[in-house]
Amino acid sequence: MSDSLFEFADFDENASERIGYSDYSYWRSTVKVFLKNKIAVILLVVLSILLIFTFIQPLIPGQNSPTKIHIDPATSVQMRNRLPDSTFWFGTNSIGQDLWARIWSGTRTSLLIGLIVGFFEMLVGITYGALWGYVRKLDRVMTEVYNVLNNIPTTIILLLMAYILRPGFKTMIIAMCITGWLGLARFVRNQIVIIRDREYNLASRCLGTPAGRVIGRNLLPYLVSVIMLQTALSIPGTIGWEVFLTYIGLGLPVSIPSLGNLVNEGRLIMMSPELRYQLIFPTIVLSIITISFYVLGNAFADASDPRNHV
Amino acid sequence: MKRSFSFCLAAVLLLAAMVAGAAPKSEDYYAVYAGELTTLNYLVVAAENEHSVIANIIDGLVEYDKYGVLVPSLATDWKNSPDGKTWTFTLRKGVKWVDNKGKDYAEVVAQDWVDAAKYIFNKKNASLTAKIAYDVIKNAKAYFDGTLTDFSQVGVKALDKYTVQYTLEKPVPYFLSMLTYVCFLPVNGQFLEKTGTRFGTDNKNVLYNGAYILDTFEPQVGRTLVRNDKYWDKDHVFIRRLSYKYNKEASTLGPELFLRGEISSVAVPSSLIDTWMKDPAKKAIVRPAETSSYTYFYTFNFNPNFEAQYEPDNWKEAVNNKSFRKSLFHALDRRAAMITAEPYAPERRLQNTITPRNFVNASGKDFVDMGDLSKYSKTDSFSKSLAVEFKAKAVAELAGKAKFPVKIMMPYNAGATDWTNRVQVVEQQLENLLGTDYIDVIPVSFPATGFLGATRRKGNYAMQECNWGPDYADPETYTDPFITGSNYNWPEKAVGYAQANGKTVYENMVDAAKAETVNIAKRYELFAKAEAYFIGEAFVIPYAIGGGGFTASKLEPFSYPFAPFGMSYLKFKGQTVMQKPLSTEAYNKMKATWDGEREEALKKSKY
Amino acid sequence: MFRYVLKRFSQSLVTLFIVVTVVFMLMRLLPLEGYFGDGYDKLSEEQKVAALDRMGLLDPWYVQLGNFYVKLSRGDLGTSIIYRRDVPVTEVIAPRIPYSMYFGIFATLLALIAGLSLGVFMARKKGRGLDKAGTAYIVLINAVPSAVYLLFIQLYGTSLFNLPILFDKYRVKSWILPAISLSLGGIAGYAMWIRRYMVDELNKDYIKLARAKGLPEKLIMVRHVMRNAFVPMAQYLPAAILSTISGSIYIESLYSIPGMGGLLVDVIQRQDNPMVQALVLIFSSVGIIGLFLGDILMAIFDPRIKLVKGEGSR
Repeated sequence: MSDSLFEFADFDENASERIGYSDYSYWRSTVKVFLKNKIAVILLVVLSILLIFTFIQPLIPGQNSPTKIHIDPATSVQMRNRLPDSTFWFGTNSIGQDLWARIWSGTRTSLLIGLIVGFFEMLVGITYGALWGYVRKLDRVMTEVYNVLNNIPTTIILLLMAYILRPGFKTMIIAMCITGWLGLARFVRNQIVIIRDREYNLASRCLGTPAGRVIGRNLLPYLVSVIMLQTALSIPGTIGWEVFLTYIGLGLPVSIPSLGNLVNEGRLIMMSPELRYQLIFPTIVLSIITISFYVLGNAFADASDPRNHV
Repeated sequence: MKRSFSFCLAAVLLLAAMVAGAAPKSEDYYAVYAGELTTLNYLVVAAENEHSVIANIIDGLVEYDKYGVLVPSLATDWKNSPDGKTWTFTLRKGVKWVDNKGKDYAEVVAQDWVDAAKYIFNKKNASLTAKIAYDVIKNAKAYFDGTLTDFSQVGVKALDKYTVQYTLEKPVPYFLSMLTYVCFLPVNGQFLEKTGTRFGTDNKNVLYNGAYILDTFEPQVGRTLVRNDKYWDKDHVFIRRLSYKYNKEASTLGPELFLRGEISSVAVPSSLIDTWMKDPAKKAIVRPAETSSYTYFYTFNFNPNFEAQYEPDNWKEAVNNKSFRKSLFHALDRRAAMITAEPYAPERRLQNTITPRNFVNASGKDFVDMGDLSKYSKTDSFSKSLAVEFKAKAVAELAGKAKFPVKIMMPYNAGATDWTNRVQVVEQQLENLLGTDYIDVIPVSFPATGFLGATRRKGNYAMQECNWGPDYADPETYTDPFITGSNYNWPEKAVGYAQANGKTVYENMVDAAKAETVNIAKRYELFAKAEAYFIGEAFVIPYAIGGGGFTASKLEPFSYPFAPFGMSYLKFKGQTVMQKPLSTEAYNKMKATWDGEREEALKKSKY
Repeated sequence: MFRYVLKRFSQSLVTLFIVVTVVFMLMRLLPLEGYFGDGYDKLSEEQKVAALDRMGLLDPWYVQLGNFYVKLSRGDLGTSIIYRRDVPVTEVIAPRIPYSMYFGIFATLLALIAGLSLGVFMARKKGRGLDKAGTAYIVLINAVPSAVYLLFIQLYGTSLFNLPILFDKYRVKSWILPAISLSLGGIAGYAMWIRRYMVDELNKDYIKLARAKGLPEKLIMVRHVMRNAFVPMAQYLPAAILSTISGSIYIESLYSIPGMGGLLVDVIQRQDNPMVQALVLIFSSVGIIGLFLGDILMAIFDPRIKLVKGEGSR
């Protein structure tokens, strides 16, 4: 072995100072990983276009009102059940209202309900669930409250709300908010119960970290991916729930179009082949929204897992 | 001997063959239904789900034939006392009560009607039809309220084993028609006492004397009725078996099941009728369905009791002006409104009077063709020119007194899709015709729960679509919603109609008609006059009649008991299930024949 | 552990009491005319009072509540007042439970087996053909409202495979379609979640170590990944099985299955208070037990979860 095989390593004072630095940013990496998923990006674009269009549609010139009934001037009869043509891009419904306008108005209504209810659910559900799962002292009371609220049939609450407050947009939102957060709360609680006694949490507690910080810094970030998935699905879930409520007669009246009652109206005439367009269009819009949220939710959940960050 | 014997035998066989061949052959009847009955206790219920079975298993004193004429059923003969207050019925002998296996239990006797009355008038049993009976029977109301404890004072008696006697408070010309309803059906007292609160809870806890026996009964699954072989009129019952299957989605799946041959008749929903009429194969099996005597009308509220934002005082001012009411009366395009429920042939269900045609008839003349009423029954109220004309008058007359546009609060049941659609159509149609400077129709949605209690009954509306069903076969029943004490639209509060005795013109006319209990034709004419007045003053806008629509059915039409009210039309006695469904043309031909035969029958009838 | 179980049990009784009382009072907030149906206008005041008295609705609410609990302590769940007049509630409900349970348990088992298998395969072959196909299925089931695709399946499935439209307990062929339809949503749900949990597990460090150690993939999957991924799912199992007694509204009304689905909604809308109270009692008990068993099951599967206070846990 000769000396020429070796080279002297220089001692550089500055170099030894550089060890502790890393330019890792959690959210930036999340976004980077997310953007790598091509399908998710496409759907994000599609969804954004859909959402933007939903809100600017009434401002476009030449749009009909969703509740105006169109009368054929020649016969003085309503223009019922017209197939899609150049005047009515999506056709008309059974009393002569423009389906194109109704679908966009309905999407607006349903999305608003979904977003407001979803946001409320997230806020209350996560807070409640985290406290419930982590703070053992509160477990008893919170389980009690959960069980009571969960077991009162939502039908009774909705029926009473509709009776007292009268059916409408606000009533729907209030009723859904009151009953909707329970699922997310239980979900979060169960996740936390699973990880609350893991070693790293024991360590934090040993070191005297207050509960809030443990929840906020140790537990929740670990759960980001599953929470993200759950909340992403809550919006289509709310819309699906709205369809169910309309089915049992507790939904919005058809004078306020929503995806729920548009789908239900279409379902009733599913047996007539030429009228199926009244079911297909709202279902397609609903499907696009659900599919987008689902894929985006999954993609975001994947991306937010730190172990996927390169 | 031998030859005459064989000759007799041959004659008998020939006769039997002729008889058997003459009796119509019928297939069994299959159907699906979505409304399950809650009980078979026919002494307490008042809804169609229950009546559809009860009408077939229990017979009453009289029944309707297929022309709408009252004929003997369990009573063979009857007479009325000169003062009209006592009716005596002679019963058919040998009619049996059977249990659900067809075994004899007892004979049907006069006491059965007394036992039924005692049960109905006992407040503890909470019979929903008690009022209909106690309003007419002597001392019944007192017994129900508890002020009278001795039942023998109540006007229902069994004079002997086969004679039933009813004593009434005052003469009731339509009393016979009431006997077809549930509150006048018999019950076997012993059986009733034995079963106690379990009476009518299933098919084993009730006795049968009618055309059919409830063979199987599984709530929310289905039921079968089989022909009662001990029935007194067995020869006129042709369908041997009625088989029903429960399905909540019966209205959606029914048409498909009919096309697959699994059920015998189905109502074609208005959403499908367009499609079916376009398909020649389907069009050939569809025919119009009968209309009922349930009546619909738009009422103007004279006792407004709604939120200040809808300006009740302004409405009150406006509604008391006859020109204002008449402008709305002539502006409502009822056909456009009906299209939301009946898109294919809306005119069939429109009517121009409150009492429907074919309801009652005196000396060959239909009620709606009598006197002043005939000009309304023949004219469609919708007239753009008249509407605009009256609008101008109203604006002039109300200048300075009412503020325009007048807000019209119109509640609707948000749970009923076609009503929600209709209210939008009506709103836009009225506003387009009369102008939004004149009226502002405001639809307000209410939930299905407690709908009427929150709206009409409280006076919480300005204009609302209401309905009414008849309780007996007399025009008086259609005046009940509009007299003092009722809660429809309070016409007694309208300004300017009071007469010397403190009552309104309309109510005095109705009272005069009610007082006429002997000359039926005159009685009907007086009622027609009152109704014509009511419509002429535009207190309501007559709108529509119930039933109607289209059906695909293998049942032979015009063979069931035709009745202006009650549950007789639900009887299967006399009906047959044909091989193939009838088409519209064939049906119309049959209807023309039937109309002619009915006229003849009504002229000849005594009752 | 035993003390914990006892504690939970007594808690449950308190919960039940609260739930039933609250529901009791809520139902009495509904309008009186709801008890009468359409013929309300034809009734006189005396008739209305007589009917309400018979239904026991004229007493003050605490008297009514007291009566209910007294009867309950004797095992009497009450008598239906509107849905099926004068028939004891147990007689109305009992024949219907088996239908919902059999269909429900079958569908849950089918959904578990098919869904979990699908989800596991999807996780293993992540990003490849099966994963994409499975995702498409899950997404479709979630996107299209069940009321729509169920009707679709009923109409086209029956004509395609020549099956009867309506359920008939004597014709086995009529059982197939409703049972499968009932499981479709469950398959999608289980597949989606087990896939998510497995993917999360697969990313963990100890899996990397196991691979580095040279363990066969199959062993890793079964012994480590699946077992851990299953833990969060376990909590829902008892509830899923028990809640089958509540039945599915859509499927039961479409196929005419005389089960429990829709019964609660029906009796609430028709304001049949004894039925509502009895049903709420039954469903609440089931729900509470389900939640409790789920917790126990979760603790069994994962020894790190401590339901009771142990060393170091807070």
